[in-house]
Amino acid sequence: MPLSDQQRQQFDELVKKSRVVLFMKGNKHFPQCGFSAQVIGILKETGVPFETVNVLSDPTVRDGIKEYSSWPTIPQLYVDGEFLGGCDIVKEMYAAGDLQKKLGVVEKPVAPPTITLDERAAKAIKDADEGNGEHLRLEIDEKFQYELYFGPPQAGDIEVVASGLKVLFDKASAKRADGIRIQWVDTPDGGAFKIENPNEPARVKSLTVTELKTWMDESKPFEMFDVRGEDERNIAKIDRARALDAAGEKHLLSLDKKTPLVFQCHHGMRSKSAAERFLREGFTNVFNLEGGIEAWSQKVDSKVARY
Amino acid sequence: MGTPTEEAMKAAILEKIPDAAVQVGPGSGGGHFTVQVVSPVFEGKSMLESQRLVLGAIAHLMKGDGAPVHAIDSLKTRTTA
Repeated sequence: MPLSDQQRQQFDELVKKSRVVLFMKGNKHFPQCGFSAQVIGILKETGVPFETVNVLSDPTVRDGIKEYSSWPTIPQLYVDGEFLGGCDIVKEMYAAGDLQKKLGVVEKPVAPPTITLDERAAKAIKDADEGNGEHLRLEIDEKFQYELYFGPPQAGDIEVVASGLKVLFDKASAKRADGIRIQWVDTPDGGAFKIENPNEPARVKSLTVTELKTWMDESKPFEMFDVRGEDERNIAKIDRARALDAAGEKHLLSLDKKTPLVFQCHHGMRSKSAAERFLREGFTNVFNLEGGIEAWSQKVDSKVARY
Repeated sequence: MGTPTEEAMKAAILEKIPDAAVQVGPGSGGGHFTVQVVSPVFEGKSMLESQRLVLGAIAHLMKGDGAPVHAIDSLKTRTTA
């Protein structure tokens, strides 16, 4: 549907409401699509102020901007009223330094990160190398999810040599990579890479009921909280877990922030949200009991009632 | 042969760029695809212009809430294979 002159004029104004305007799904703080999130991540890296327009809150904008830019997808980035492109293009421009030029930001050179590759990991990589001129690349996104693969070199790459192997990083990944350790470990499904990264923000870790049993048997110090209400606790409970009622919460907040905290509920869902909440409160050693009291009853202590 | 949607995307791109070698594959989920197009038509064009040419060809498949194509996870345009 073609835009009317009036609509076109509205978009002319909208794309210039700030030097940098991003049409996206969701907003800066809660992007609701992976592509929008990636562009937000890049804009934040550049440090320039920018405005966002949430296309989900107005279908006429959502359809209109596609028409206006002759571009069928969201996100769309405008700088000085000029359409730059979608996620792919913004990523490529950032990697090559063209986006920074366009935005007029001077980028500090990124220092090559120090990385450690253990012997088995280096061997696994050498075995996987097909010798076709592609290099090992490690991408670390803003959520600290990792992608390790062979790919062609790209403009702006940062090169690091570890255990005789060349590893390429794009700039944003390089900033998140200093001090990482890449290992090759055995898992029930075979060998796999394991990456330890000191730059990773704390996150909720998973604890299985058998691990919890071991902790108890070994008298490992930790605090455990049951997030269920009194009615459910009356049916079944794990003695070690304190109710997360007002008193329980007061006790929790008085603990040292490094105390290992285990959260438990019926199946492990409600406890996960509670765990995330206390992570935001600044606790750094937070565990969620996977499968909750149900799994505990099935695998560890059948005397605990199931419901 | 790809899925009907993949074939429709391929046909639409070929209609716009007849000399192209087009590959359409599945992306990260339902309605997500990856596309690679090789054609001399991209010679001298910027990435924006090149992508716009391809996206323009399949725009009708991406329109509206029930569109068969929800997102293109990766779109590569090259002048030579």
